[in-house]
Amino acid sequence: MASPPQPTQPPPMTNAFALTPHKVSVCLLLQTYALPAQTTPPFPFSSVSQHNRLGLYLLALTKVSTVAKVISYDDISEPKLEELLNQLKEISGSLGHWLIDHLTGRLSSLSAPDDLFSFFTEMRGILGGLDSVVMEDNQVILDPNSNLGLFLRRCILTFNLLSFEGLCHLLTNIGSYCKEAMSSCMPYETRLLDESSNDLETLSEYENMDLENFVFGKVNEEIEARKQASERVPFHLHGPKALSGLVEDFENDKSKLADIEVVADPSSKHGDKCGESNAYIHPPGNELRDVDPYGEIFLRTNWQVQGYLMEQADAIEKHDSSFSFNSSELVLRQIKKLAPELHRVHFLRYLNSLYHDDYFAALDNLHRYFDYSAGAEGFDSVPSSGSNGSGRYEIGLIYLGMMHLHFGHPKQALQVLTEAVRFSQQQSNESCLAYTLAAICNVLSEFGCSSSAGVLGTSFSPITSMDTSLSVGQQLFVLLRESLKRAESLKLKRLVASNHLALAKFDLLHAQRSLLSFGPKASMKLRTFPINVCKELRLCSNLISEFGYESCTMTTDGAFSTTWLNNLPKSMDSPLLPQENGHRNNCDAHRFFTQLSTVPKSVLQLLGSSYIMRSTAWEMYGSAPLARINSLVYTTCFADASSSSDAASVHAKLIQHLAVFRGYKEAFVALKVAEEKFLTVSKSVILLVKLQLLHERALHRGNLKLAQQVCDELGVLASSVSGVDKDLKTEASLRHARTLLAANQFSQAAAVAHSLFCMCYKFNMQVQNATVLLLLAEIHKKSGNAVLGLPYALASLSFCQSFNLDLLKASATLTLAELWLSLGSNHAKRALTLIHGALPMILGHGGLELQARAQITEAKCYLSDPSYSVFKDSEVVLDLLRQASDELQVLEYHELAAEAFYLMAHVFDKLGQLERREEAAASFKEHMMALENPQDEDDPLLNMF
Amino acid sequence: MGWADRIVRSMNSKETCRSELRIALRQLSDRCLYSASKWAGEQLVGIEQDPAKFTPTNTRFQRGSSSIRRRFRTNDITSSPATGMSYVSTPVLEEDEVIDGDFYLLAKSYFDCREYKRAAHVLRDQNAKKSVFLRCYALYLAGEKRKEEEMIELEGPLGKSDAVNRELVSLERELSTLRKNGTIDPFGLYLYGLVLKNRGNQNLARTVLVESVNSYPWNWTAWSELQSICTTIEMLSSLNLSNHWMKDFFLASAYQELRMHNESLAKYEFLQGTFSFSNFIQAQIAKAQYCLREFDQVEVIFEELLRNDPYRVEDMDMYSNVLYAKECFSALSYLAHRVFMTDKYRPESCCIIGNYYSLKGQHEKSVMYFRRALKLDKKYLSAWTLMGHEYVEMKNTPAAVDAYRRAVDINPCDYRAWYGLGQAYEMMGMPFYALHYFKKSVFLQPSDSRLWIAMAQCYETDQLHLLEDAIKCYRRAANCNDKEAIALHQLAKLHSELGRPEEAAFYYKKDLERMENEEREGPNMVEALLFLAQHCRTHKRLEEAEVYCTRLLDYTGPEKEMAKNMLRGMRSESSFPSMDAEHFPP
Repeated sequence: MASPPQPTQPPPMTNAFALTPHKVSVCLLLQTYALPAQTTPPFPFSSVSQHNRLGLYLLALTKVSTVAKVISYDDISEPKLEELLNQLKEISGSLGHWLIDHLTGRLSSLSAPDDLFSFFTEMRGILGGLDSVVMEDNQVILDPNSNLGLFLRRCILTFNLLSFEGLCHLLTNIGSYCKEAMSSCMPYETRLLDESSNDLETLSEYENMDLENFVFGKVNEEIEARKQASERVPFHLHGPKALSGLVEDFENDKSKLADIEVVADPSSKHGDKCGESNAYIHPPGNELRDVDPYGEIFLRTNWQVQGYLMEQADAIEKHDSSFSFNSSELVLRQIKKLAPELHRVHFLRYLNSLYHDDYFAALDNLHRYFDYSAGAEGFDSVPSSGSNGSGRYEIGLIYLGMMHLHFGHPKQALQVLTEAVRFSQQQSNESCLAYTLAAICNVLSEFGCSSSAGVLGTSFSPITSMDTSLSVGQQLFVLLRESLKRAESLKLKRLVASNHLALAKFDLLHAQRSLLSFGPKASMKLRTFPINVCKELRLCSNLISEFGYESCTMTTDGAFSTTWLNNLPKSMDSPLLPQENGHRNNCDAHRFFTQLSTVPKSVLQLLGSSYIMRSTAWEMYGSAPLARINSLVYTTCFADASSSSDAASVHAKLIQHLAVFRGYKEAFVALKVAEEKFLTVSKSVILLVKLQLLHERALHRGNLKLAQQVCDELGVLASSVSGVDKDLKTEASLRHARTLLAANQFSQAAAVAHSLFCMCYKFNMQVQNATVLLLLAEIHKKSGNAVLGLPYALASLSFCQSFNLDLLKASATLTLAELWLSLGSNHAKRALTLIHGALPMILGHGGLELQARAQITEAKCYLSDPSYSVFKDSEVVLDLLRQASDELQVLEYHELAAEAFYLMAHVFDKLGQLERREEAAASFKEHMMALENPQDEDDPLLNMF
Repeated sequence: MGWADRIVRSMNSKETCRSELRIALRQLSDRCLYSASKWAGEQLVGIEQDPAKFTPTNTRFQRGSSSIRRRFRTNDITSSPATGMSYVSTPVLEEDEVIDGDFYLLAKSYFDCREYKRAAHVLRDQNAKKSVFLRCYALYLAGEKRKEEEMIELEGPLGKSDAVNRELVSLERELSTLRKNGTIDPFGLYLYGLVLKNRGNQNLARTVLVESVNSYPWNWTAWSELQSICTTIEMLSSLNLSNHWMKDFFLASAYQELRMHNESLAKYEFLQGTFSFSNFIQAQIAKAQYCLREFDQVEVIFEELLRNDPYRVEDMDMYSNVLYAKECFSALSYLAHRVFMTDKYRPESCCIIGNYYSLKGQHEKSVMYFRRALKLDKKYLSAWTLMGHEYVEMKNTPAAVDAYRRAVDINPCDYRAWYGLGQAYEMMGMPFYALHYFKKSVFLQPSDSRLWIAMAQCYETDQLHLLEDAIKCYRRAANCNDKEAIALHQLAKLHSELGRPEEAAFYYKKDLERMENEEREGPNMVEALLFLAQHCRTHKRLEEAEVYCTRLLDYTGPEKEMAKNMLRGMRSESSFPSMDAEHFPP
């Protein structure tokens, strides 16, 4: 029996045109406008233009409602009487006072139900009959089919349909509508006790809150305040890619509702007032503004609430952990109370707790949401492919899986997702299956640990058909292809795009056997294929062209009028005639229109992440300019739609780029800017970058104590207390090893590097493997065991080769050359050849340090080459050394700089240029001194730590 | 202390209770606190009469209950007013107006006719505490009434509208001023507590209600309000209550809500020493027993209750649940008929009828009656749960999920609804998803073996196949009095599946012992015997094996033949005990 549960079925959304106090006042104004009068212009108006102005104003007011009926919501901006009066004052100048008095007088004279009856009967009088041909000259009679006429007719009709109870409520509402306007100047206490029971409740809720939350709230408040100080937050943060790809359906709705504007501004006044009176509880500012509007402004219609919820969802995603938890929780609880059948609230609460890392609350709310809505609410716009009325719990399963992934429970996530696969097969919900596969891919690629192999179910054919001996990587690949295929056949554009992205990532990180070469003779070399990555990325970007044409058909007059009304005070300031005003309105509307018709945010997000992927790919492949350009493209084009984590990581990339190519000073300046932008409470990419830079710099300056300190800090970030992040972990131990190396504790450094290598090997992190191997080679080189270092360098080289890590390969080559060189001067030729091979890459894309190192090594090669004579060709060496020393001074890399100057002094000594020798020697000494006792007191950058 | 002394003392305490209740009854009904005075009246006649003062009417009224006492009294009552316990004697409230003012009389009669606003209006200028209370109370009720009406009038597209009791704000203001001035009486405090609770200020409400019951303990509604906002044991123990005998009633009911059924039962049994004929206590004992799943006892109690109080509707839904569980068709139909004739529009009545139809397998009708019950009381917890069960029966899982979810949101401690949710999801083939709900339900009721078994079965499903977890659950189930003896059997089976014969044998043996004790037979018996026989044989405990084999011979089927073969084999082995098999190849 598929009949829905009747008692609990949400009542149908009524499109009813509800009669509200605001509509009554509009009717009153209409009456003034169209009053039968004997004079031209009619009585209260002093000029025709004044009359017209009121007419236009009314048109704007009513248009909202009349258009609204078409798209089944109404009362978009139902202003309070106070605002209405203010607007009236502005549009009608001298007449304003009369109008206001008239309006308030009439409104407050409506004290008995019968007054309303007679009022609406009167109203019928100003409406021309459909067949009334005879028009009196001086009388404005409303054409029943005009906009105003339609509005009036609707009002009258609604009134006639009203039951007596409804009539009583209207009367009460008019009473409080008037009272509100009168009492807006009343002192706080009476107000509080009088009308807003909500506030008291909020108060008590705050009382019940424990201290921790309160402190947290404080922090948020501060953050918000600072954000406000830095004007509107110019970046938009969106959720983890894992989720954002999947909320597509949800977003569909969102875009549809995007045109509903929640007018939150008017309430701010009231909010601030409250804030002052009990500042110790309510932090004045944004929070209250968030809390307050529910009672008065937006909670008018179903659609409005839903639109508000959409906005909140966006906001939660955008500001992740810096979004105030408590304030939105309070609002949501309030909405829940007022509209118990609106289950989407639970979803919002889930999102809220998800982004605040409250596992249990998130779990509870997620389950609650899907229990109530059976997965159907919020997805109604999607053509249901296979749903047979029995609910769409598979969506709940996907969300649950993603949630487990978010909290770092890959095993549970896989289990849930397997169940989702099974369930959607059982329900033959193909699109859901495609999404589930994508989600599984996500889990596998994020937690591609060896343990996952057995978990994946027995039921799903593409998996069972696979050999169980396949590695996780191979499984992932098969799944990715399968998922892409399904998405393509189902025409789920966004999913296709995100699958392409996932494939690109896979191709980037996993070496594959070339498909073209098979058979016994083919080389068994494993390689990555940059071309594939490129192809996938480009395919992903095709998405935008599909959405480019699909402009938003929901652009409505309603939204149009709303903006016009909102901008009214501005446009009325200028003494322009209404006709001319039109131009201005068009401007506004145009801006609004463009805002609406843009590509959906989720698409923009996806595209943005494709650019990040490009940037990362180029970074790995070793093209610094391309990486930089892609990052810049991202920040310029996608900053609005991006999530905080994405934006922050792009900034991090750019900062690192600066540090490597321009030195620390500039990087730290940029970092400071970024830090102000991305104020986040928890660990973030920016923090990571800061630590990295500090560490790098400390190592260069030879300040090992500081380096160790920073290293420990990194270790704390990487600790598994707040979830395991393998990349972070690798980074931390890599830096640990380097610190040890700098302190000449070779065996310990080697031990750390070894265990790191083991970890990387276990989790199949090949790219990191190359780095670690190179580090091991360096360790051996520095410890004087060049022979032992050689195999490591070679291994690293081969890793780099198969993963196309060109820049890393160049630096491995350099290390190899250094190793050869340290084996004796008879290897100098070989080393030189190696360096010359790597030079184009190093000079083209390498950072300052790498270039300097290459130059010094090259110089050393020349110097140790017996066939080279200083006297004959000294400039070659000196030039190299000079360049190197310049670069190293920018980096403040004392050790290498000292070496460069030492060599220089040596050469000058040989050449007999004693003065210049002394100069170089002095520089050498300076650097050595700096290295031996690092001076930090005067360091302005240190206080960043 | 001598035995006679105790008797006297208990008599005295009965006498004080009686006189206190008599006064309280009058005071309560004078203030139109009807349900409190009803409660006080019930307890008043529930006190055992002094044999010397027996009147024929009393005996008639009290005769019925004695048999229950005989059957279920565990401890001797005369000793129960514990020797160390001394009650605070609360001075009976002095009336501030000996003779009610005329206005008060008029207001009260308006109130009795449920014309609340009118009653409040009459008392507008009266300043006596009693009048002030009645005025406020009338206003409160008027607001409630209007709220109910508005809720229906304003029902918007999103469910309930924001109907609120509009009197609350002004009442709160007035009562808080009164309290600050110290011119508030316990009844006023009760009302203030009620208002605060409705306004969502639970902390202050608790304080105020404690003040109220400490100064006037006989107002049962105040106690129940207090109980409804003590949701944890910590809250309960933090209350600063003075030691009156009414506190025992309160604690008993609070324990029950906190699912401390045995403690609650003990309290009630202690109270029965004084109030031996109280229907209320009997019903509460039945409730506790019901939660402990002692259905037979519950049935007996309810039979007695109905004999004494044939027109009782309260708590009868629980009785119907018991009858349902025991599948007593005619008794259930009789009960349904009876409550229907008594009061058709009570949620309990509808629920009982729903139960009846459910038992008859007419689930649509049953759902209809549950829905009617819910129309009458939206927060009627068990109706939501039962309706969920019906939907499950009708295979309308989404509806079932919805119904259960509503029950859970009304009371998150309702383990039955959590269990139902789990079941529904398991039925849909989402065992992992279902686990969340099962976990919730076992958390709330860890002593219920059925919940553990359900969870274990969930782990055991083909899709999850997490046998280790299943074993853990079954072990918990076996530890908490698993009546159907599923757990032991499953434990044995799982262990043998996982290749742990020792553990398997241990559980089979335990299962066998249990079956012997309960004199049950069946396929499980055969399976256990067979396994044990084979196990003993492989471990060369031939005598034991022989015993099991011989027992197997009593059953028919292939196992019998296997046992015969085994016996034969063992005999041949045991007849040549010294020789090894290799000397005599088969």
